Amino acid sequence: MVTKTANGGVPVRALQARARLFDPNDKRYIGILFITPVQLLLITMLIFPFGLEFFVALTEWQPTYGTSIWHAVGTVFSGDTELGLNYYYLVTDEPRFLEALGRTLAISVLSLCLEFVIGLGLATIFLKTFWGKRIWFTALLTPMMIMPVVVGYTWFMLFQYSGPVNQVLGWIGGTSAGADLQWLNNGVLAFFAVVITEVWHWTPLFFLILLSGLNAVPENPVRAATVLGASNWRIFWTVIMPNMRGVIIIAFVIRGMEVIKLFDEIYILTRGGPGTATETMSLYLYKLGFQDFRLAYAGSAGFIVLVITVVMINMMLKPIRYELLEKR
Amino acid sequence: MANIKLELVELRKEFGELIAVDDMSLACEEGETMALLGPSGCGKSTTLNMIVGLEAPTSGDILIDGQSVLQVPPGQRNVGLVFQDYAVFTHMNVRRNLEYGLRVRGMARADIDREVAKVATFLHLEHQLDYKPLELGASELQRVAIGRTLVTNPEILLLDEPLSNLEAEMRNQMRRELRRIQAETGQTIIYVTHDQIEALSLAHRIAVMDFGQLKQYDTAHNVYHYPDNTFVGSFLGNPPMNFVHGQFGHDGNRPVVAQNGSIIPVPAASAGAVSDGADVIVGMRPESMMLAEADDPEAFTASVIAVEPQGPETVLTARIGQSDLKLVVETGTQAHEGAEIAIRPDAELLALFDAASGVRFKA
Ligand SMILES: Nc1ncnc2c1ncn2[C@@H]1O[C@H](COP(=O)(O)OP(=O)(O)O)[C@@H](O)[C@H]1O
Ligand SMILES: [Mg+2]
Repeated sequence: MVTKTANGGVPVRALQARARLFDPNDKRYIGILFITPVQLLLITMLIFPFGLEFFVALTEWQPTYGTSIWHAVGTVFSGDTELGLNYYYLVTDEPRFLEALGRTLAISVLSLCLEFVIGLGLATIFLKTFWGKRIWFTALLTPMMIMPVVVGYTWFMLFQYSGPVNQVLGWIGGTSAGADLQWLNNGVLAFFAVVITEVWHWTPLFFLILLSGLNAVPENPVRAATVLGASNWRIFWTVIMPNMRGVIIIAFVIRGMEVIKLFDEIYILTRGGPGTATETMSLYLYKLGFQDFRLAYAGSAGFIVLVITVVMINMMLKPIRYELLEKR
Repeated sequence: MANIKLELVELRKEFGELIAVDDMSLACEEGETMALLGPSGCGKSTTLNMIVGLEAPTSGDILIDGQSVLQVPPGQRNVGLVFQDYAVFTHMNVRRNLEYGLRVRGMARADIDREVAKVATFLHLEHQLDYKPLELGASELQRVAIGRTLVTNPEILLLDEPLSNLEAEMRNQMRRELRRIQAETGQTIIYVTHDQIEALSLAHRIAVMDFGQLKQYDTAHNVYHYPDNTFVGSFLGNPPMNFVHGQFGHDGNRPVVAQNGSIIPVPAASAGAVSDGADVIVGMRPESMMLAEADDPEAFTASVIAVEPQGPETVLTARIGQSDLKLVVETGTQAHEGAEIAIRPDAELLALFDAASGVRFKA
């Protein structure tokens, strides 16, 4: 009976190769093989520095102390120092930090809202055809392609006391002499100079995202609303905007993450001044780290900002989380 | 004739070179359902869009109750349009969708609630009012789309291929639903479809279109039985009308159409003023032909090349000269492949078309 089998009756077990511990041909390993390098890269590039920073930020280490960073990390585990004092001081005893935080948020909210409104207005105009549309399109997108440093210098020149901005404002006011505005030396004006620069630089991105969003709004609901007698204004708010919700949120998230880090333009325009009138989080952290060498302290501040950012961005994403994650 | 609700006068729409609607004229009576029937891309939606005001005609006029509405903006023509893809507002729940048109009109809250409840009951949407469109099936979406328009009480209801996105089962159900809406509201309805069955079963009158041109506009019965041209004959009916090319002539006294020695006797009435030797097309509906005795003077002979029983009916394919004919006969009829049969077309329904233009000869 056994002899009738295809291999002439040789016991099956004998034909099988000895089970190996690791068989490179085993398809189950392929996934792991592909994934492993990336995982290693992530661990070394991301997790490790992040972890180091986290531990150092619990101490009060500075390179000027003369001790190594490893020693500082060691104290976290040996219990030689009181941990987390930085956080305590930053929150309770560091008005400059809290002010920078508030200022960053103010600049962010104001700039984003302006960028959104202007970008949306421009995008709406671009739904129609008009003369020179292609050229205008390219021109409108250009600012965001310019390096922040160059943008900073450009507006630094424009905002000079005897510069073009004051000159033009003077003309508008009907005098040939320039307006008497100390754009970069007056705290309030400097704040707005920063916002204006930021808005000029990044409105194009809002414009681009919102234009593509407007174009992706399905046509027939708009036509249906038209037939039902809705005015353009009503259609815009009840049909087009709700359909743009995801796009608008994404635009705010992308720009929000960027504007919180705002640094280069302000550094060139005002260095955070006059005084600390335009000192944003990035500038404050820069000064902490590279002027005062309080690296651990700056790290702690950075973590606070990170937590705030993560919470805020996730709140912004909340309305579209379902669409992004659960749908299909 | 009852009241004429809608009239199109030489309505024309060009998209650059393309003539989407070619000087179309027709009138639609109040309370009637008119089907706009034609193959995809023939200009049906464009016609609807012009009636509702979403597209401006290149030339021509649109009259509602005898008044030109060309200068009236879309929302104020009191014409409702239901889109092929429903176009419901996906971010609003069903209730919001239904009340949209009423809110636009600034109706009082209590009135809105009453009207919405009424239309929701009418369309069996009472239990879906708080659902979002994403949670609804195709036929429910369809009813929301119809309800959203119906609630505004339009004088004319335009439906653009309302059943084409539904599955067969749903389609039958929705067709019954539409017939009920039709009967209970007495709406003037213009119903766009590329499906002849839908047109024949729902419409009082059918306008058949092809390449932007109105090919025939008549009652469903007439369009089916008395097609004005070969296009209408071939577009309606399944299997479609049979066409046999040939030369008109006389065999003794009786008018005939000859092709390769085969002759088809045609009734004198259908021939009208056709002159001998003219190139013509004989059109015969598959179910308007019957088997006859071999010596029947009104019959012609053909050889059977296929027999396809389909339940109670059987489709025979027969060859005369170089043309194939399909005829629908009762199953059980004595005919087998290869047999010679005598076929007598219904004299009343046989049509004679001009071979060059495809237009029917009128008596
Ligand atoms: N906005 C437009 N621009 C250019 N061509 C169009 C436009 N709308 C429709 N057409 C063309 O007009 C013809 C008729 O279209 P349509 O009325 O949608 O056909 P149907 O509804 O009968 O399928 C088609 O060839 C289509 O490509
Ligand atoms: Mg269409």
